[in-house]
Formats: sequence, structure tokens, C-alpha cells
Amino acid sequence: MEGVTIAVFWLAYVFSFHIILVNLGIYLGLMVPYLKYRAKKMGDNGLLRVSKNLMKFYAATYALAGVFATAFTVFLLSFYPFFLGLAGNIALAPFAIAILMIVLHFFSISSYYYGWDRFKESTHNFIGILLAISALLIPLGFRSVFAFLNTPVGLYFDVTSEGIVPRLDLTEALTNPTLYPLYLKSLVAAITVGALATGGYAAVKYFKAEDEEYKNALKLYTQKTVTIGLIGLIIMFFLGLWYTLSLRGVEYKFNNIFAPLGWSVGGGSAEFNVSWLFVLKMIFYIAQLVLVFQVYQAIKKAGFVNRGGANKLLYAGLLGIATIALGELLNAFSQYPYFVADVQSPPVEIPPQAAPYLLNVLNLANVNKLATLTGVQLLTVGFMVFLSLSAVWFLYVIFKEFEKEV
Amino acid sequence: MPSWSIYPASADRLLSFIGIGVHWSILQYVLGLPLLAFIAELIYLKTGNEKWMRLAKTFVKGFVIVFAVGAATGTASEFGLVLLWPNLTEAAGRYIYFPLYAEVFAFLMEVVFIYLLWYGWERLPKKVHVIVMLLALIGPWFSGAMIVSVNSYMVAPTGIHPAYDPTTGEWLYQQGYPKLLLAVPNDYVSLLNVTLLQQLGMEIVKNQPANANFTLVLMPVKIVNRLAYESWHGYTVKDSILYLVLKPEYRNNAQLLNTPVKAIVDKILVTTINYVGVESVTFKSPVYRASILHVLGSAITVSSFTAFAGFALRKLKGYKPEDEDYIDTGLKYTLLFALIAIAVQGFVFGHEMGRAIAYYNPEKFAAMEATSNTTFSISRAFHLEGFMKMLAYGSTSAHLPNYDKIPDDYCVLGVTQSLKTEEMSRVGSCKPPLLIHYVYYTKIGLAILVGLYALLGSYYVVIKKAIPPKWILSLALPAAVVIQMVSWMGWAVREIGRKPWTIYGVMTPDVAHTFNPAPTSAVAAVALFFIVILLALAYLVWKVLWIPGRPVSVEGE
Repeated sequence: MEGVTIAVFWLAYVFSFHIILVNLGIYLGLMVPYLKYRAKKMGDNGLLRVSKNLMKFYAATYALAGVFATAFTVFLLSFYPFFLGLAGNIALAPFAIAILMIVLHFFSISSYYYGWDRFKESTHNFIGILLAISALLIPLGFRSVFAFLNTPVGLYFDVTSEGIVPRLDLTEALTNPTLYPLYLKSLVAAITVGALATGGYAAVKYFKAEDEEYKNALKLYTQKTVTIGLIGLIIMFFLGLWYTLSLRGVEYKFNNIFAPLGWSVGGGSAEFNVSWLFVLKMIFYIAQLVLVFQVYQAIKKAGFVNRGGANKLLYAGLLGIATIALGELLNAFSQYPYFVADVQSPPVEIPPQAAPYLLNVLNLANVNKLATLTGVQLLTVGFMVFLSLSAVWFLYVIFKEFEKEV
Repeated sequence: MPSWSIYPASADRLLSFIGIGVHWSILQYVLGLPLLAFIAELIYLKTGNEKWMRLAKTFVKGFVIVFAVGAATGTASEFGLVLLWPNLTEAAGRYIYFPLYAEVFAFLMEVVFIYLLWYGWERLPKKVHVIVMLLALIGPWFSGAMIVSVNSYMVAPTGIHPAYDPTTGEWLYQQGYPKLLLAVPNDYVSLLNVTLLQQLGMEIVKNQPANANFTLVLMPVKIVNRLAYESWHGYTVKDSILYLVLKPEYRNNAQLLNTPVKAIVDKILVTTINYVGVESVTFKSPVYRASILHVLGSAITVSSFTAFAGFALRKLKGYKPEDEDYIDTGLKYTLLFALIAIAVQGFVFGHEMGRAIAYYNPEKFAAMEATSNTTFSISRAFHLEGFMKMLAYGSTSAHLPNYDKIPDDYCVLGVTQSLKTEEMSRVGSCKPPLLIHYVYYTKIGLAILVGLYALLGSYYVVIKKAIPPKWILSLALPAAVVIQMVSWMGWAVREIGRKPWTIYGVMTPDVAHTFNPAPTSAVAAVALFFIVILLALAYLVWKVLWIPGRPVSVEGE
């Protein structure tokens, strides 16, 4: 197997796990503190129980998201060390925002979880606010990097006595036309998929629960998440369109997605056709919209869903999770084999003597061959199978615990 | 006296020092607490006495809390390395990536089994739970083994030949030492003036592997260091020191002259790593075995003293009557654990570490012992030099390395005066800071005091079969703080004492450092952020583990 195939496979594998858990995490980071605050204010013990269960799930799985992020970084370092060296030299500011917020987020999760019923209400709420703020700002840092990888706005090359030194002008980087649609789309997608997945689970649990107060809370939570999910899906259409339009300035990427569907820019064609991923994503999106609309109508008509409706909502949540993963893969593969999508016609002036180096470093085909040795890869497969199965077993134990809660 | 700021990138070194220091102070509990828990659970399985299960739960609870924050500070440290020291990170990813790669599996193992341990406490059969506990212990140790191997490589890279002979007391800089083993592809060898390189100190290894397409050489580190600098600063052969050692017939070859130095260095290093072993290169560092034992010993010592302080405080401040047996057992268990840990750490692991440093980092060892006439030396004042010779080299007739005789410029290439001046201005100084002497001896002194304290406390437990008196218990918390400081100082000696090197004999901080450092104010703000998080974590642990003063309950927590 070619080195680039191995590298891209592992990067895509761990990133898919990571991005799914992270999206659920953004939603829970916002929803749990709000839900708990509301439950306390209304004296609703059932709702408090729902928020606590969501927090338990979050606390248990967040580290798993972190470990897949670390795996992604280390695989990137091992397969593409020269790229990471370059990125490290340039992208201090956006990564720094993300890192500081990650530390704050980890701390907030631990404090919020262990401080439940131990801290003063005001202190606990304050930590909840930190949890929500950090959940919003982590993706801002990372999406700045992703926008830079679309088109490197703000990149300069200074010719100094020590050679050619790349640097990033942060103010300019924040004007990247692809940044805000990407960031907002990511946030709304996270909230939507989180609402649908947890709402679906709550709806199914509703039919198993015996405690009336808890049942009422699950019902209320499901109703709210259906509304959030439906509004989110509608907003996603417009944000998706905005992001698509912003990508017209990145011809290579845009054409890889849309040219085979008859929409190209600059008269170009797809060099690496990923339009099928886009079509699949759209099918998933429409399926979610249909399912959620049906559930919404059922709730409007009868006050709540029947078992079939609950299952529909759960399927919509699972489809949402799959759509998130597909969207990320689409975004990444549409610029294959380049790390920076418009590396061949960037909006920056590259000194001629630096161009060959950059083209080499930014090409995914140039894999560190030391990291793709057969022995290392056999070990990787062995460990990944064992640990992926362990992770699934772990999630099973977590869900079993929640079963007991009902 | 070379001080902190004489070496390059002082602000970012300080930030890394604080960031990694915070991570280190937390992760010791991730390494140490699961061992305390595992043994307690084994005792429970053997005796069936519930108090041991409760003890195991308490240790695991602390373990889970610190793990979450430790994972966060670990992530921050990882990104800190990428952003502050991107060229070091790039080199690590290219040449010694394997332990970092394998550490991912360790981290995943930690996450899965630590949380499974916690959430599966009442759900898994007892024997399965013990296995999960063992896996939750192996995960952090596996992770530590990987990371320490990279750090060990930075302390003493595989193939390093130090510049000191303890039997004669002579430094070997005149002969070109320290030197690093390199496998130079033969197509490069054919381009080079080998005689000139030999005059600069390069040695061709006598026993060459059969039918190899490379030549093994011992290269002076001052050449390696210069080539590393040129590699990350975009030099091509025509502007490089390589031009000086090219055979005359190749000095007009335009293609060769325009070849990036980085491409040539890369090929040499890839050949070397392939020869030494891609997967094993860092584990073959001559200081690795001692380092991993020393790190684990430190973590177990700190964890057991901290746990002992918790039980001692509970004993002093009051507790529920039904908890007395549990608290007394915890107190005795952790105190004896602490005594054994500090004894083994001091007499065995620490000793091994000291010997490894004496042999492979003689400059650092000279600074640790302050064998300089220009400064006050504690070992000289207390006439400990003979004892130190015995400890370090196993013989009183050996010689301690003389700090004053280390040339200030041994690590830079001085083929011309202008090159030497340029090299010195980027490196600062080749001598390690004498500051570490005081840090080292303070560490040793405090460790002895804490060890004696543990011995005294254990005397009451083992000989008198009693709980130590109140005055001993009241010193438990200060002892825990001091032992954390001892560990931290040991780490500081290891890292600061390695200066002027980032990777000994290979890369200096100016090469490792980012081309775009953040302003000092931003660095200070980030450092403050880390310190606030650490204090907040300490408060959280205190609030969660201490304040309730009630039986540990996994359910509903």
C-alpha cells in the first residue's frame, strides 16, 4: 500500500471519531449549564436529572474526543513532520486561542462535574458559563486554521539575513472570506446534531421511564430539541450556501466538489472528484429534514410522538452524526493532495526561492517514509483494532449505566 | 556565571518551563495513584475487607480528577512544543517519531480504561475490575515510557560519545569530543574531503557493517550543531560549511552547490536512524533505563506522600467515628508506601540516574557539583567530593569533571573567527549554568529530610504498632509540598542543566525555536493562565476530596 494512502487513512479515521465527539461536546457544553440553570430555577427535578445525565455522558466521553485529537496531531507529526514544522512557525495565534480554551474547557468539565451539589449555585453557574464560552471559542481557533488551509490570507514571507521567514498577519487572517461561514456553520451543525441525537435518545428513553417527573422532563427536553433541530437544519441550508459561495475564490477546491455537478469557477474541472461525497451529504441532510419535520408535526398534532416517532428522531440524530463526519471528509478531501487548497494560485506573493520547498511540504504525497514502515503499520492496525473495540465497550458500559438511570 | 537569559529564547523557555512544569506536577499522580489503588484492590481481593476497596476507590477518584486536567495540560504542552519549538517538533516527527506515535495508543488506553474503571466500578465482576485496574495502571506507565524515551534522547542521544574521561580527569575537547555516531551515505562520502574532516575531529568507526552503502563516523557535535542551524535556516551547500569540506572538483558543480543543506542532513539522519533502528532509537539512549525508573520512582513517591498527607489531615481535623479504621489503614498504608518509594528512589533509581548523567552529560555533572573555583560549592564545603566520585564512578581514584576547564565555545565550530563569533552570538554560551548546583543540592537536602520524616513516622507504625503522634501528622502536608518541590527541582536540573543544548550535541534552542515568537506580554499572560488553572485545580481537589469528609461513593457522584 502506498504511503500516502496509509497516512490519509489513519488521519481520516481518527479525525472522524474526533469530530463526531467534539460536535456533541459543543452542544453539551452549551446545553448542560443552561438546562441545569433552568431546572434549578423552576425547581424541576426531572429536568435536573436529564441535565445531570447529559453531563455524565459528556464528562465520560470528552477525554475520548481529546485522545483522538492527540492521535490526529501525532499522526500528522509522524507522517508530515515538515508540514507541521511550517504550521508551527506560522500559526501560533489561532492555535494558541484553541489550546488555552481546551485547557479551560477540560478544567470546566471536571469542575462542573465534581462541583455538582458541592459548589455554591452561583459558583457552579459561573463554571457553566466558562464551559459554554470555551466550547464556543475552541472551534474559532481551529476553524481559523482550516480557513487558512482553504486560502492563506495574511501569509507573508520576510526576506531576512537568516533566510526567508514566513509569518502570519492575524488581523488579515481574521478577514479570510471562508472563516466566518465555516465557523458559524460548524457551530450551528454541532448544536443541531447534538439536539437531534440527544433528543432522539431522550424520546426513546421516555417510553421506558417509570418516574412521572422524569418522563415529563424527557418529554419537554425532546420537544425543545426537535424545535432546535428543525431551526438548525433550516439555518444550515443558508450557512452551507454561504460557505459554498465563499469557496468560489478557491477554484481547485470548489471545482473538485461542484464541477462534476455542472457548476464550476474559472472554467476549471475537477482534478480530484469528490462531488459524490457532497451528493451523499445532501441526501443525508434531506433525510434528516424530512424525519425531523415529521416528528415536529406529530408533536404539534398530538403533543408528543409515539414510539415510531421517537425512533425517527433517533435516526435523524444518527444521520446527523454521519453527516458531520461526511462534511469534514468532504472539506478535507476536496483539496487533496494539498494541505493548502489554493497552493498553486495563492493570494500571496511567494518568493521564487521558497516556492519549491512550499510545494513539496504542502503536498500530501510526500509522506515521511520512516513512519509507513510495515512493522509500524502492523503495530498500528493491532493497537487500533484493540483500542477501537475497547472504546466501543467503554461506550456500551456508559450507556448501560444510563439504562439503569431510567 | 551563565544564567537563564544568556541562552536563546529565554521568554519561551520560561513559558515551556511553566507549562511542562504544571503538566509534570499533575501527571505524577496519574502515574502514582493507580499503583496505590491497584495494590489496595489486590489486598481487598485477598482479604475481602471492604476498607481496602474503599481505599482503592479514594485513590481512583483522585486519579480520575487529575487525569482529566493532566490530559488538558498534556495537550497544551504538545501544542506548546509545536508552536514554540516547531523545528524541534519537526525533527522529532521526522526522525524519532515512533515513541510519540506509540504514545497515542497509550493515551487511548488510559482514557478507555481509566473511565471504564470509574464508570464500571459496580458493574464489572471483581476479577474483571482488577484487570481493568491493571490496564488503567499500564496505560499511564506505557505513556510515560514513551515520552521519557524521547526526553532521554534529548538528554543523551543514541550514539553520543562524551568529552570526558573520569579516570584521567581530562576533558577531550581537543580531540573533537563530544561526538555523535552518524551513518553517512557513501555517495556523500565520495564528495567530501575526508582528511580535512578528520583534522576537524571526525573519526571513521573501525568496525563498519559489511556491504553497507554508508560509512559510520563519529562526528564532532560542533559540526552537527552547525549543520542543524544551516538546515533550518535555508542554507544551500554553496553558503554552508559543507562547501569548505567539498573535494575541489565538486566546488563548481552548480546542482550540488544549490542543494539545500537540509536535504543532505535529512538523508544522513534517515540513514543513521535506519541503521540504529527506527522503532528503537530513543530507547537505546544511554540514559533511558535510569530515566524511566527515576520518573516512575518520583511519581510514586510524590503520590504516596500526598495521599498520606490527606489521611493525616483527616485524622487531625476530625472524622466520622465509623471511618476510623478506614482512615488509620489508609494512613499506615500510604506512609509505608512513601517510605519504601523514597528509599528506592534515592538509593537505587536516583543513584543510577546520577551515574548516567556523570558519564553521558559530564558538563552538566560538573555544574551540578559546581567544580568551579569561581563559586561556592556545597559538596566542596562539606568535603563530599570523594563520596561523589565513589557514587558517580565507583572509585575514589576517579576525578570529578572540572567546570572551569570546559571551554566556553566547545559546542561551536570555529574554523574562522567570524564563524565562531556568529556561532557564539546565537548559542550564548556552551557551558551549563552553575545555578543547577544549588537547585540540585537543595533537592537532595530536602529529599533526605522528607525521607527521615517518613522513617520516623514508620517507626511508630511498624515498631510501636501505633498511629504516629500528632506533631508528626501535622508535618505531613508540608512534607507533601516539599516532596513535590523536590520532584520539580529534579526535573529543573534535568532540563536547565542541559543548556546550551535542546538535544544534547545536536540542536540548540535558537534552532529549535519558532521564527515568529509571541511578544513577552503574551507569553506572561499564558504563563499566568497556567498558574491560575493549577491553583484552581488544587482548590477543586481540596473541595471534592477533602471537604466532604464522607464515605466515597461512586454512585451518583
